[in-house]
Amino acid sequence: MQKSLLYIAAFVVLVLLQIFLIDNIALSVYFHPLVYVAFVIMLPLDMKPVWVLLCSTLMGLTIDALTGMAGINVMATAAVGFLRPALLHAAVGRSTDATDTIPALHRLSTKHLAWFIVLVVVLHSVIYFFMESLSLSNALHTLVRLVVSDIVAIALIWYIIKLFTEKIITR
Amino acid sequence: MYKLIELIRRIYVVLLLLLIEAVALNFYANSSHYTEAKILSRANTVAGWMQNTVFNVKHYFTLRSENEMLAQRVAELENTLTRYREREEQIETDTMTMWQMDSTLMVGLAERRYTTARVVGNTIHHDRNYLTLNRGRQDGVVAEMAVVTPDGCMVGYVMECSDNYSVVMSILNTGFHTSGKIRGDEHFGSITWNGHSPHRVQMTELTKYSEFEIGDEVIASGLSHYFPEGVRIGYVESRTENENHTSLDVELRLAADMTRLSNVVLIENNNIVEITSLEELSKKE
Repeated sequence: MQKSLLYIAAFVVLVLLQIFLIDNIALSVYFHPLVYVAFVIMLPLDMKPVWVLLCSTLMGLTIDALTGMAGINVMATAAVGFLRPALLHAAVGRSTDATDTIPALHRLSTKHLAWFIVLVVVLHSVIYFFMESLSLSNALHTLVRLVVSDIVAIALIWYIIKLFTEKIITR
Repeated sequence: MYKLIELIRRIYVVLLLLLIEAVALNFYANSSHYTEAKILSRANTVAGWMQNTVFNVKHYFTLRSENEMLAQRVAELENTLTRYREREEQIETDTMTMWQMDSTLMVGLAERRYTTARVVGNTIHHDRNYLTLNRGRQDGVVAEMAVVTPDGCMVGYVMECSDNYSVVMSILNTGFHTSGKIRGDEHFGSITWNGHSPHRVQMTELTKYSEFEIGDEVIASGLSHYFPEGVRIGYVESRTENENHTSLDVELRLAADMTRLSNVVLIENNNIVEITSLEELSKKE
């Protein structure tokens, strides 16, 4: 019960962070880190797939409603939420075969966690940016946006996840 | 039957994903700039106060430069006022001319209405960017008002209003479209943004017979209803012929610094209803 409240709080904080802080930084057209996807990463690893999908969709819907993006965020987050188990498997490899413990983010090694974050962020932003530009004629421009934004997003999400798993959840 | 239920139980997550994606894609495909502005306008009724708070914090740090700009503007207006005063004194000597002057002045005023507002939300990192202003329907803001900086540079036009906020189509929106011309030259071209730099817009379809140099000023042509003629858009940075060698493509440096907007002026064209209905009438015929 207390844990689910923590996740709700994380949801709210991430939405506020994205909409009112990050989106207000008018630095460059290439700077658009999508930090809210950290929510999809931090959801419990043993959560049922259908709930992961629904929670991710809710996050996308909230961002869409607040930024007027008309569906792009939902498309990106729903896809990432659905593919999360596959991405985790790709990041961690076979070492999760030992099922003696409940899988949890703070038990992942640094390397595995980093790969997991990178995979989720990249997949999410690829869908997001290409859906937004809706053409391949500007592919180079979109690619630069993607790389710049993702580097910032990955760094920020890394710290958010560390903070969340080490300081809050495991306490 | 049992097998079907078993199958659905196994793949219901996939089905759910497909359903969500289909609904989102359908909504996105059918959305336009107006849908986006409408969603934003609704969101502002809920989250507007938060935007306002964030803005107030940010605004505190730009007060200094803003003051300097306002002082400069006051000085300019003082100059203009003095000119008008001198002219008025001249006119007062002849009451008859005074009466005539007054009536022409009234006509000019009735055509346009001015209001000011603060930018509380501004993005530049999307392909389709919008601004949020802290004035809405209750303050007399209506759709299609022109939005310019206090020194008269183009920013965008109002798309949607809620009671206390309004959503503005930024010039940095790939759906933005207006008509511009080079000051001192009557040829016009269309102004759009390609989504690459927040400091540059593009002017296309400018005839090859247009005469201008690098650095020349580009202003609103008055052919678009939103912007009165003479609103500054930017300065010519480079020119190239288009693919068919039929017209010129011109790269413009924006006059307004879209990354640092705080106060804006809204201009309403009171004749816009009359003009649009007249145009629609001629289209039907």
